[in-house]
Amino acid sequence: MNPAYEELEKGGFIKEKQKDRYAMRLRTIGGDLSLTQLAGLIELAGRYGCGHVHLTTRQGVEIPGVALADYGNISRDLRRLGLWPGTCGPRVRTVLACAGNGRCAHALVDVHRLAGEIDARFFARDMPNKVKIGVSGCPNSCSKPQANDIGFVGAVEPVLESGLCAACGLCVEICPGGALALAGGRPRIDRTRCRHEGDCIAACPMDAWRAGRVGYHVYLGGQGGRSPATGRKVAAFVAADAVPGLVERLLASYVALARGGERIGDVMARLGNEAFRIAVAEESGEGGRSEWAV
Amino acid sequence: MGGVIPFRHVLDITGDVCPLTFVKTKLRLEEMAPGEVLEVILKGREPLHNVPRSAKEEGHRILGVEEAGDCYRLLIQKGERT
Repeated sequence: MNPAYEELEKGGFIKEKQKDRYAMRLRTIGGDLSLTQLAGLIELAGRYGCGHVHLTTRQGVEIPGVALADYGNISRDLRRLGLWPGTCGPRVRTVLACAGNGRCAHALVDVHRLAGEIDARFFARDMPNKVKIGVSGCPNSCSKPQANDIGFVGAVEPVLESGLCAACGLCVEICPGGALALAGGRPRIDRTRCRHEGDCIAACPMDAWRAGRVGYHVYLGGQGGRSPATGRKVAAFVAADAVPGLVERLLASYVALARGGERIGDVMARLGNEAFRIAVAEESGEGGRSEWAV
Repeated sequence: MGGVIPFRHVLDITGDVCPLTFVKTKLRLEEMAPGEVLEVILKGREPLHNVPRSAKEEGHRILGVEEAGDCYRLLIQKGERT
């Protein structure tokens, strides 16, 4: 048997209604494909598929209409394009990402680097149920990370260098959370209303607003499907290089706590957020409290 | 906003919406010499939100913003290397 068949255990080759026809799902990260890869997919979809591709809700591509006997061949040809078969079922799925800081002026963090790191470490790992992870570069949340089991949202904490402030009031006018007001010739910030988007930092004519903590807000338990739910914010300003370790502990806690096919949100709903937090803290062996700031 | 400003260009974008608000601002700035000042009259939160930060990102300097009735007056100094 073709060695590539071992990959079938990870899923991503999905039975269709038609006899001996499968959809080959690809492992895409944040929806990025090079032109060479796209051109190659056109060729492969024509040779092995039924002449079209399907774009998935997770920024991925599926090639429908592939015969089982062609699995080894299409898998080999995908590798030559630098692409890999995807996954399905109770596993860590392909990672969603927004446009990212390479081209979006709003993104505050290196979105695609983090998405790549998460994919490299966790992709297709077996889980009690599906685990979807999404990353967004700022609180605009264009990639909808809160609709994922684990979501990361880039965030910045504005800090005022008051000696530089010219009290022009621009930040007060544009603050999306209405967190700023001029008081005594200086903007005063209501931290409870700050959305950590950094618009004040980007717009300030005097560069008086500076970046304090920069990192990711973490949301847990979001999902679509038959019981849609929005992820709940569980941690703030987690540093990018601490994210993979946090995901590791979250997944270990989830595996230990899940009953049957519960998803992360189901476990949190049954146990409560605090019990889940304690479980993650115990899993880390050293508290983990500092990350779980909310 | 002090200093001697020899000539001030004026651009009214109160009737425009995104993305034309910044596109018009950018095109006008391209016609100007470095150091010259453009006064942009704008209305509403969207252009106030986007035009100053976009101008800053493209290397221009925001000299200030002031309310003018139901509009805002934004002063942008064209950057040296833009």
